[in-house]
Amino acid sequence: MNAGLKNPVVKAIFYAFLIVWGISVIYPLLWTLLDALKNNEQFFRNKPWSLPEFPLLWSNFSYVWSKYNFGTYFVNSMIVTVGSTGLGLLLSATTSYVLARYKFRGSNSLYLLYISSMMIPFVLALIPLFFLMNSMHLINTKIGLIVVYASSVLAFGIFVLVGFFRALPKELEEASIVDGASYYGTFFRVMLPLSQPGLITIAIVNVLNIWNEYIVGTILVNDPTQYTLPVEIGVMQAEMQYRTEWGPLFAALLVTIVPVLLVYIFFQRQIANGITAGAVK
Amino acid sequence: MNSGTARWQRNVFIASFIIPTLVFFVVFTIYPVLQGLYYSFYDWSGMSNKKKFIGFDNFKEMFHDPIIWRAIGNDYFLVAGKVIGIMVIATFFAVALTRFGFKLAGFFRSIFFIPNVISVVVIGVLWNFIYNPQIGFLNAFLSLFTKEQVTITWLGFTEHTIWMLLPPAIWAGIGFYMILLIAAIQNVPASYYEAASIEGASQWKQFRNITMPLVWEQIKVSILNIMMTTLNGSFVIVWIMTEGGPDNSTQVMGSYLYQMAFRQYHFGYGASIGFVILVLSLITTIILQRLMRHEAVEMS
Repeated sequence: MNAGLKNPVVKAIFYAFLIVWGISVIYPLLWTLLDALKNNEQFFRNKPWSLPEFPLLWSNFSYVWSKYNFGTYFVNSMIVTVGSTGLGLLLSATTSYVLARYKFRGSNSLYLLYISSMMIPFVLALIPLFFLMNSMHLINTKIGLIVVYASSVLAFGIFVLVGFFRALPKELEEASIVDGASYYGTFFRVMLPLSQPGLITIAIVNVLNIWNEYIVGTILVNDPTQYTLPVEIGVMQAEMQYRTEWGPLFAALLVTIVPVLLVYIFFQRQIANGITAGAVK
Repeated sequence: MNSGTARWQRNVFIASFIIPTLVFFVVFTIYPVLQGLYYSFYDWSGMSNKKKFIGFDNFKEMFHDPIIWRAIGNDYFLVAGKVIGIMVIATFFAVALTRFGFKLAGFFRSIFFIPNVISVVVIGVLWNFIYNPQIGFLNAFLSLFTKEQVTITWLGFTEHTIWMLLPPAIWAGIGFYMILLIAAIQNVPASYYEAASIEGASQWKQFRNITMPLVWEQIKVSILNIMMTTLNGSFVIVWIMTEGGPDNSTQVMGSYLYQMAFRQYHFGYGASIGFVILVLSLITTIILQRLMRHEAVEMS
């Protein structure tokens, strides 16, 4: 079906571009790993691309894990990411199902409200959010981050899932109702399992976004025991002006990157689906 | 079972699925956004008892604030730079990986998306290291070609430092838009290309006459999306890499908002910057949609 490029020179040039860009993406990751195994002295004596000297300083990892408390931040990030993804999924799936299947007064406006909120710049909400959370005593808590993140992913979730539920055949629900299942039973036992591909796609995209989120985390958390990984990376990088510990900094970056990289490797297809689903506005 | 209870059950079901979500959404999204608009008319340092209504004074003050003008300029510089850089490269890769029959297309596609799954904070730190004057990658690389050690402070120029923030922003954005464009190109019926090939149309002609018109809608959406995400979110990379410095020369609206509110405690002024971001993104959306309107082609 595809003739491809006929001119070998042109083809080689295009290949070269692809390879150069590929290297520009892979190399920083590789180099993060290599630099995580160096001590400070090697950073200043050797070239940035030189390999770490033996013995490799794997201890940099245990150092950031315990001395910099990355163990705690890792757990915090996990709890916040899983909690807010789960909560966001539950809230958006329930509303999406009703919006897709039931007509009631205002249902259309409600759908439009959610969808159009994707156009509002979220920075606008940062200042009030800080004071709101403060008055609710949710500053410096994981619950605070969870509810804010969960709320921030609702519009995207509803946008994708309403489309998903609408596309499912109605007969299955009708059969379930005829069998005497309640509305809730139908939703949880019939519709949710059927919409699994959509749910997984949204969950993955949200996991990546929430795990990586920085600015809300910085504003809502200033107690170091409650930091998430990106917040601590920001703090650590600012501290580097006074005490330089480059090896541990790179080890810290790697601790932050590896989980999302694993998620990406395992769920590539869902992520691509999520992007294309979310962008067809 | 009479129809009254059936109706009641149905309504309870609907309410129980709609209301919790709506409450969350109103409390943690709608209400803060409206509050943000409201605060922009106040002089407020964060203490609730010292909030003073000052009408449009924050906005008037902005007219005389050279930093906000600089920030707006930087924002639009980043928008323009990212739109051009990302769209040209992403379109190039999307076409190359779908239309040119490369064997490793799938592999490259997977690799190119990686920067998009990494936190902006991490990207900022990595690029800071590339630019680091003493131990950075860029200076070490340039030193290979010079007698003396190169020690350029890449992020320290009082002018044009904003240019240094463009490469990381473009680097981080390519994969996402490439995936969108690949999906759009794959939606173009293969028969169009086959017909063109039979008639001997070159790859370039096929790109100009088939691909471009048919994925134009997606390109439009992508450009609008880059604009929006840049005005709303580019400040994170700015904050990590330069904190708006040196001497506020790389400040963008978002970073200036953050600095005003959370560093200098001018919450009212910060909120009014948020208002400006909203207004500018709406205006820019409308203008861009007008500019890009007439070139759309409907796919049958």
